[in-house]
Amino acid sequence: MNSVSPSAAQYLGGAMQEEVLASHPETRRPPAQDPRGHFGHGAGPDGGRDGVAEPDEVDRLKAKLISAWNNVKYGWSVKSKTSFNKTSPLTLLGQTYLLNHEDEVARFSQAFVSLLWLTYRREFPQLEGSTWTTDCGWGCMLRSGQMLLAQGLLRHLLPPGWTWMGVHQLTDVDIEVLKPCSPSRSSAVSFPSFPPSRVPPQSLWGRGSGALTVTEAPRRPQRRSAETSRDRQMDATHRRLVSWFGDHPYAPFGVHQLVELGKSSGKKAGDWYGPSIVAHILRKAVAKTSEVPNLAVYVAQDCTVYKEDVMRLCDPSLLEDLSGQSSGWKSVIILVPVRLGGESLNPAYIECVKNILRLECCIGIIGGKPKHSLFFVGFQDEQLLYLDPHYCQSVVDVTQDNFPLESFHCQSPRKMSFSRMDPSCTIGFYAKNQKDFDSLCIAVSGALSSSSEEKYPIFTFVDGQGHDYGLEGQSEVPHGLPAHILPPGRLKRASKKSSMDEFVFL
Amino acid sequence: MQTAEKAQQPQPFKQRKSFATRRQEVAGIRFKFPTKIPVIIERYPREKYLPPLDKTKFLVPQELSMSQFVAIIRNRMSLLPSQAFYLLIDNHGLANMSLTIAQVYKEHRDDDGFLYMTYASQEMFGTNEPGVETILKNS
Repeated sequence: MNSVSPSAAQYLGGAMQEEVLASHPETRRPPAQDPRGHFGHGAGPDGGRDGVAEPDEVDRLKAKLISAWNNVKYGWSVKSKTSFNKTSPLTLLGQTYLLNHEDEVARFSQAFVSLLWLTYRREFPQLEGSTWTTDCGWGCMLRSGQMLLAQGLLRHLLPPGWTWMGVHQLTDVDIEVLKPCSPSRSSAVSFPSFPPSRVPPQSLWGRGSGALTVTEAPRRPQRRSAETSRDRQMDATHRRLVSWFGDHPYAPFGVHQLVELGKSSGKKAGDWYGPSIVAHILRKAVAKTSEVPNLAVYVAQDCTVYKEDVMRLCDPSLLEDLSGQSSGWKSVIILVPVRLGGESLNPAYIECVKNILRLECCIGIIGGKPKHSLFFVGFQDEQLLYLDPHYCQSVVDVTQDNFPLESFHCQSPRKMSFSRMDPSCTIGFYAKNQKDFDSLCIAVSGALSSSSEEKYPIFTFVDGQGHDYGLEGQSEVPHGLPAHILPPGRLKRASKKSSMDEFVFL
Repeated sequence: MQTAEKAQQPQPFKQRKSFATRRQEVAGIRFKFPTKIPVIIERYPREKYLPPLDKTKFLVPQELSMSQFVAIIRNRMSLLPSQAFYLLIDNHGLANMSLTIAQVYKEHRDDDGFLYMTYASQEMFGTNEPGVETILKNS
């Protein structure tokens, strides 16, 4: 069904109302008439008040307006539900689901909700050297990059198949036949409606039943094995991992750190970022932190992964001067920045992108629609499945014990057509050890060449090192130009003599 | 500003010269240098980050690999290794870096005899616009 669900209409209506308010601030009215209104949410003090507002209430209202405005303005799509076909397979990072069975739906929901969702945040400590206290409107690619790295870290630190024990149910989803869009669904609340920390989200979603049950006490899902220390340990790891992405200057992968590391690439707070720059920022961030000593990030250049460069990065014993300290093979995240066409995605690559997303070693693709970054995690038919960072949330203080985790997970999977995909993106892979890396090379090469574009794969794996091929690879070792390349000086002389339309000899 | 950018961009090679002229040029140069491939390299019309090249016509030794070729162009532009640079063959596909120019030429030579390539970096993502903060402040 393509119709806008009542809840979404409500959201849209609310948002537009806010917008009107924003442009005519003198006509201050309570923003949400509906007690379940999306920004007041019943529980809030501004829910049913009248126009006579206290000064700090005005501020609070302003904050709400800003947030509502931002979410519309910065591209949080108010589109209602995502429809999933229950007869065609749905791929999510190497796992395939056929949503024709409750169990499969549950399995998919669990996997999707367990992905880390990093979004725009506001009111975080000022970014150094700027006046920015939010990344709304400019940081979406950094957020997508964070999600990609987070996915790599989940693979790195948690056992395969780990899922978060928090919320599992999806919102704004239509799975044909299984959950018919009956009028009774009309009171289901769409995901962006709840403030992450106040109301336990799982209680908001009446699954198929019309009843909207907002219970005050968090109702934990059944956790039979939750008492085991192993589970507690995994919960702690998960929480620690999330805290690394906190929005404060000391978080190793927080927006503050990433912006700082982007400065050497000529970027500053407020700038737009690209998938390639973000790949290098992530590489630097992982190299810099002491939190994950046995993980490295390799960024491919010119669509080529030089295997020996990866091995040198992962196996410190290969470097003679470091032979003293052997710590074995490091795990590696391989990032491949690519450009899959000029103005728009070359349709010939669609099959290849699908093949890549089918691989278990794939940790996602950061890219987006033009100007609007998204984190691609899967596909169904001709549509990509993604997580969208364009949702402006209040900052969460991750230094607090038991900080709320809900706003770091997303319950509403969304899809978009492959044809809208911007050709600029960075593809991510993860290999735990050397054996993993070997099989990754084989699996990815297979995925890249199985399509019709065999001769022109998105990227390639090559034995040896980048500088064997006349490139400055990942190795920071300085080296001169290889003999078969003309020194730039000679090129310049040649070019001075000839006009624009004369041949240059290489 | 956009118009200024456009003005800087020279007309595409194909529009500057007629098909007959282009064909003639290729015939002449192929006769003189049968082992070299005539390549046209132009900047992607919407490219904002990579500098324009001072030349568009290149004669490339046929055994040169794409990765060596890319390295040469990168050098001409003095790009850092971490800067994104992509050569799109015929304006839509990426070239396999391990192929030689001759192999790419065989697949993708234009009817006029040239091999056309476009270079581009990556797009940036964001939606900067004056936010409601400004509007509220000004009201």
